[in-house]
Amino acid sequence: MVVSDARAGSEFRVLRVTLGKEVGKRLADMGFTEGAEGQVVRSGFRLGGAFRGPFQVRIRGYDILLRRSEAAGIEIEVGS
Amino acid sequence: MSFDARGAVPVRPLRIALAGNPNAGKTSLFNALTGAHRKVGNYPGVTVEKREGSRFRNGREYVFIDLPGIYSLTAYSIDEVVARDFLLDERPDLIIDVLDSTNLERNLYLCLQFQELGIPVVGALNMSDEAEAKGITVDEKALSALLGLTMAKTVGTKGSGIEGLLDLVDRAVAGWVKASGPALPRSIRYGDEIEARIEPIEAAIAADPLFAARFPPRWMAVKLIEKDADARERLSGHRDAAGVEALAASAVAWIEKHYARDAEIVVSERRYGYIRGAAREAISRFGKPDFSLTEAIDAIIMNRFLALPIFAAILWGVFQLTFKLGAYPMGWLESAFAWLGGAATSALPAGILRSLVVEGIIGGVGSVFSFVPLIVILFFLLSVLEDVGYMSRAAFATDRLLHSFGLHGQSVFPLMLGFGCSVPAIMAARTLKSPRDRIATILAIPFMSCGAKLPVYVLLSAAFFPKNPGAVVMLVYAIGVSLSLASAWVLSKTALRGDPTPFVMELPPYRAPTLSGLLWHVGEKTQSYVKKAGTVILASAILVWAITSFPVYRPAPGLADSGTRAEAAMEQSFAGRIGKFIEPAFKPLGFDWKIGVATVTGFTAKEVIVSTLGVLYKVRGGEGAGSSGLRAALAADPVFSPLVAFVLMLFTLIIPPCFAALATIRAELGWKWLGFSVAFMLILGWGLGVAVYQVGSLLALAAPLAAGGAA
Ligand SMILES: Nc1nc2c(ncn2[C@@H]2O[C@H](COP(=O)(O)OP(=O)(O)O)[C@@H](O)[C@H]2O)c(=O)[nH]1
Repeated sequence: MVVSDARAGSEFRVLRVTLGKEVGKRLADMGFTEGAEGQVVRSGFRLGGAFRGPFQVRIRGYDILLRRSEAAGIEIEVGS
Repeated sequence: MSFDARGAVPVRPLRIALAGNPNAGKTSLFNALTGAHRKVGNYPGVTVEKREGSRFRNGREYVFIDLPGIYSLTAYSIDEVVARDFLLDERPDLIIDVLDSTNLERNLYLCLQFQELGIPVVGALNMSDEAEAKGITVDEKALSALLGLTMAKTVGTKGSGIEGLLDLVDRAVAGWVKASGPALPRSIRYGDEIEARIEPIEAAIAADPLFAARFPPRWMAVKLIEKDADARERLSGHRDAAGVEALAASAVAWIEKHYARDAEIVVSERRYGYIRGAAREAISRFGKPDFSLTEAIDAIIMNRFLALPIFAAILWGVFQLTFKLGAYPMGWLESAFAWLGGAATSALPAGILRSLVVEGIIGGVGSVFSFVPLIVILFFLLSVLEDVGYMSRAAFATDRLLHSFGLHGQSVFPLMLGFGCSVPAIMAARTLKSPRDRIATILAIPFMSCGAKLPVYVLLSAAFFPKNPGAVVMLVYAIGVSLSLASAWVLSKTALRGDPTPFVMELPPYRAPTLSGLLWHVGEKTQSYVKKAGTVILASAILVWAITSFPVYRPAPGLADSGTRAEAAMEQSFAGRIGKFIEPAFKPLGFDWKIGVATVTGFTAKEVIVSTLGVLYKVRGGEGAGSSGLRAALAADPVFSPLVAFVLMLFTLIIPPCFAALATIRAELGWKWLGFSVAFMLILGWGLGVAVYQVGSLLALAAPLAAGGAA
């Protein structure tokens, strides 16, 4: 599963970031590394599949905003 | 130069870099450390502001340099490049890492990278009050011991903990000098296997002592493993660059094979793992701060349906408040300048000097200064929104919309500042990481009607749309916003085409702003506007006065009527001749030579259009937009009609804003983009103006006011 598929409120554990190069490194710098625990706090405005606002994700004790394209590149496992 | 306690041996001032994550409280701490002793400049080559301040303590001078807020020492954004170049090239004596105690996990990530630079680091555990309130306790002694750097708790907004912090600074510097060398600073170990690969690279780098003196081998080696492009570039100065690079490449290959992921990711993982280990022992409630208050507010502010309407409402409220509150001080300033003009008129003998002082200087500069209150209030309100933490919510609300026009959620703050003054707005765009977003935002900013364009709108809409002046002004503002979005869209489809850039942005918790912090922000942003009024506009006011006053007109004996005489004098002046010369270009817009001259002088700054019209129509004290004299004179001129007035507003909105803004665009983006931007604005302004005038004329809207106003 990836972050953009997770429902608002779901808690997760990062498996890996599949985005390459700068964005992947940036997300790792910001705390998205294997095993990091987080939560999808909310996803933004949504109008159909494509028109969708950013996601608010809690990671390592702070909140970050990500666009769908980045959120889709973070593989997670959702706790039950 | 300062002296020690005995006053004998001069002690070199300590140069200390203040660094840390954005929102960690760096600015507050900098202000607390330096008090009033500071100066603001720029880092070479870029317009990232460089603040320097100093403090004397126990006979020693401490010079603090405020680095831009960053998350990592990669070369991802301009801010990071600036911070990193400063640390590498200028080698400060010490780094104070400002850490947000409520969010240490991520804040310490940067700290580990500072430790690798071979410069002593002292940690300021800032926001310690907030951490305590949230139930996070930090055992700074234990954390210091675990991480190998000293730390002190501080509260930037109250200035507490400063002395303790400076004690640690003294000790760190003294200890450093004694140990003299990079042996002392402990820095993170990446695990035996990786260390076994880093060490040979380090050794190979150190084999060139000249190079190693400039770039710490440890830092260089780690950055090469992280495949840092900038570090690789610097490596070319090494005696055996190829050898080092080959070593690094094989290390990277080994790590990627062994761990089955990118080497730079492995490095990040190790850092976070190291922080976890250290912090688990020294920090309680680590990684689980209390979000309840922020969460409750965000449930409404960031609600997926309400976020955008709330943003629009806040923006509208900011405008209402700005204009309602601003009207009073604006009136006072206008009367003050009118009084000054009157005083100068009676004090000086009639003649050229009086004309220069009263009409040129007081009139021209006065018309600009009257708008300072508006700008100050607007910037104050926007700074409140920024300091409270609303701006990242606004980015959340608007990103989807702005993104479809080729902009970015983070463009929203620069664009809003553009309503005040383009200069700080263009500079604020540097927070955008990707050059493409930054260029698109900067080129869109001039279409946001700045404070200087307002007097033109106010004057013209009051004169020609007396029934509903406010609605017309709002319409022009709305056209400006639409044009700025449209131009960004066109650019993103043409000159700035490319992959969408990432949107990765911290969402800080809400914080109560402090008055001193707000005033500091407002002061910084207003400064550029006032500086413009004092220099560019003063110069252009004198220039406008000169070209309208010379050559001195000698009336033919027959002309007795003073009105005709003034008109004739104007036509004879340089301004008149220039106006006549360029008139053909303005004809299709419905402008005569007077309007032409006004818009040409308006290139220096848009407020000048009003003052030039005042001079051209020879209205006494007619510089203020509120003056009824100029309004009546314009309304009486048959050249003008509501249509021409509207076209003039449109033209003013679109053509290049002012010299100061153009100079800022050049500083930020270079000549090429400046040329592009100017050409774009001129062509669009002229084309759209002609289109509106011609179509409007066809629809017979060009009737003079007597008929058109009554309709
Ligand atoms: N409670 C608390 N708030 C602080 C402290 N230091 C700064 N702030 C607030 O945190 C916000 C960000 O501070 P600022 O100095 O602008 O951070 P910068 O982005 O790192 O320069 C502002 O609203 C400050 O008033 C502190 O020690 N305690």
